[in-house]
Amino acid sequence: MSKLKGVIEIRNLSKSFVVDNDPLQILKNINVTFSSGEFVSIIGSSGCGKTTLLRIMLGLESDYEGEALLDGEPIVGPGLNRGIVFQDHRLLPWLTVTENIAFGLDKLDRKEKKHVVSEHIKLVGLNGFEHAYPSQLSGGMAQRVAIARALANRPEILLLDEPLGALDALTRIHMQKELERIWQLEKITMIMVTHDVDEAIYLSDKVVIMSSRPGVINKIIDIPFSRPRDRASSEFIHIKAQILKEFHLGTEYPFAYAI
Amino acid sequence: MDLDHKGLNGQIINDQIMNKNITDRFQWKDRLLGLILPVALLFAWQGLVNLKLYSDLILVPPLKVVGTLVYLAGTGELTTHILISLQRVLTGFLIGASSGFLLGLLMGLSATINRSLGPFIKALKQVPEFAWMPMIILVFGMDELAKDVFIAIGAFYPMVFNTYQGVSGVPHKYQELARVFDFKNIRFLQKVVLPSALPSILTGLRLSIGLSWMFVVGAELFGTESGIGYMMYSGREMFQIDVVIAGLVVIGAIGFIMNALLKVVENRVLVWNVSVEGGQG
Amino acid sequence: MFQSRGGKDKSMNISNQIKGWFASLTIPFVLLVLWQVIVSLGYVPAIILPSPEKVFSTFMTNITQNDLLRHVAASLERVILGFIIGALGGFSLGLLMGLSRTAEKIFGPTFHVIRQVPVIGWIPLIVMMFQIAEIPQIIVISLAAFFPMTLNTLAGVRNVRKEYLELAAVNGFKGLKLIRRVIVPAALPSIVTGTTLSLGMSWAVMMAAEFFIDTSYGIGTRIQAGRSSFNMALVLVGIFTVGLIGYGLTITIEALGRAVNNGRDVHKEI
Repeated sequence: MSKLKGVIEIRNLSKSFVVDNDPLQILKNINVTFSSGEFVSIIGSSGCGKTTLLRIMLGLESDYEGEALLDGEPIVGPGLNRGIVFQDHRLLPWLTVTENIAFGLDKLDRKEKKHVVSEHIKLVGLNGFEHAYPSQLSGGMAQRVAIARALANRPEILLLDEPLGALDALTRIHMQKELERIWQLEKITMIMVTHDVDEAIYLSDKVVIMSSRPGVINKIIDIPFSRPRDRASSEFIHIKAQILKEFHLGTEYPFAYAI
Repeated sequence: MDLDHKGLNGQIINDQIMNKNITDRFQWKDRLLGLILPVALLFAWQGLVNLKLYSDLILVPPLKVVGTLVYLAGTGELTTHILISLQRVLTGFLIGASSGFLLGLLMGLSATINRSLGPFIKALKQVPEFAWMPMIILVFGMDELAKDVFIAIGAFYPMVFNTYQGVSGVPHKYQELARVFDFKNIRFLQKVVLPSALPSILTGLRLSIGLSWMFVVGAELFGTESGIGYMMYSGREMFQIDVVIAGLVVIGAIGFIMNALLKVVENRVLVWNVSVEGGQG
Repeated sequence: MFQSRGGKDKSMNISNQIKGWFASLTIPFVLLVLWQVIVSLGYVPAIILPSPEKVFSTFMTNITQNDLLRHVAASLERVILGFIIGALGGFSLGLLMGLSRTAEKIFGPTFHVIRQVPVIGWIPLIVMMFQIAEIPQIIVISLAAFFPMTLNTLAGVRNVRKEYLELAAVNGFKGLKLIRRVIVPAALPSIVTGTTLSLGMSWAVMMAAEFFIDTSYGIGTRIQAGRSSFNMALVLVGIFTVGLIGYGLTITIEALGRAVNNGRDVHKEI
């Protein structure tokens, strides 16, 4: 087993829910490895089980067949070595930006806590908003706080569940750049669930394409080109067409923005 | 791009400040409108007195009520009554609200406790608080303890139901967040459950103290030798309607002040809650 | 998928309900046993704690010989009359203040000051001004119903979503038609809440009114009679009866509220 941290291996994983005494298969025979320091996107249409897969890695879902391993050990319940950014920023409305970021830092003493928080406020570019409440923040800012909170515990892996899904298109492009910057600084594994093909290509080393009923992995596409990436470049458009083809959306509409 | 949002946000805050100025500027006009009704009522009152349609015993002139208030305040009688009533409210409220809070918390945290206690408390709630009074008097006699118990019953219900509602209504998404951050037991309670339930708990607190104030007046009407309710009761017995009306003014004013104070506290504590609204009495 | 999930919840609810029934009966049962044990041990004088059989037999004789039902009817009549007067008044004032900012500025301040006076506090004054027993009773009860109804109608009308008003304006709704077809239906959940609170307050204050204002019939009067004759069994019978009627009123008004709200998601609307 590798000594690198932040490696997730999913082996022969299947999961079904029981609905009206009938089992409904959500995930079927999933096999995938996420390497240390990689940025991976999981895309697929609604109901393909991508969020369930993410929640299994997070430890919020148990009761499945097969294996989910973190650094060679089975995943049992949530842990501070995995950070999560939900689609709804899920900041606690009664805490300020600072207090929200410090939410999971109880084990540190006051001085360390202050240091870690200010470091992360700087990382996500929220200087000057330390004492604002979530209700005073825009969607993009709230999501920055959520990212800072998830990173403050220094997780090996950051899981992102459609983190930019609730933002408007322009803020979203800006936040994609920010995510890239943060990933390059932190050098940790990031696994993101998204609907947005452009977003996935822009950010990822590897795109996992899933389809639904039951949720299976269709294809894993490597995206080797250098960063920062140009959405208008021919290689970008080519790979996008290739991904869209997986969803039977052909090449006739190369400018389709999202699924 | 996000810089724009910061700008936008700043602007929102500025707009709020500007709006406040605007409302400040126009408030005197609104206040004037608000004075029309009380002034008209006072004139109507005085007019009725002048018409001498009713005996002076029933319809005293407004100025006489003011005179009585000043007189009662001057002799110190009023202050004594008020202090005694406030002391009773405080004792009864503390007993009722704290036990209501505790039970509501337990019911909110444990489904089993809720299943066994909830229906019982709801059934008890069906009995109007005043119906317990004769029983309390038979058991405890007419002394202070009887009043404390009675007021405590009144303070208990809003607190137990609102605390339960707040605690059991912690959104699932925050519970999940607590799991991710590995918060358990006391820390979960302290950092997630209680803050999330706070708006509801404070509403319960305000309702609870309002009801305590109502029940102290009720308890004192029931026969005692002191307190603002007693003052009104004896006014009625001796047919001094000016004393009765003076008492009404005083209990109204105290109720108003208590409610306003609690609202200030609520707004302070709940700065984060944009949907904070005046509850309904 | 949602539907089938709903089905699952339903079947779970039924078993939970049965469990709930058992759980909710535990405490009353334990209390009843405890009551009987304490009485049998004779630690507490019978004046303070009569035996369960004594209370039950008092209940039966009160129904058969002492006109308990007539007392109940008298109380109910008062409550319903006072409630209707107070709630109608509260609805009208709440609607008026909700529709017109000027009306709110005129009536609002006086209303908010007066509502801080505990309703019970009005009893001595009203008794002095209207000597006939039945009238002060009804006035006090209607006052109790008036305040929550006004507040909740006002809140409901004020919080009608702007989108609905815009839609109504686009369709040319005005005046009474606007009020009847859009504003009142949109404010209905809040008005139902007001009605529930109003009836509850009327019921609670009726007890006080019957204690402080002399009448020959009324369930409160009956409880008072129990107190003055040191008949704890009668007091307990009264409490039990009042609780039972309170329960009846509560489920009636809740059913009414559900029927009126007609399955819409009240929480989302508010």
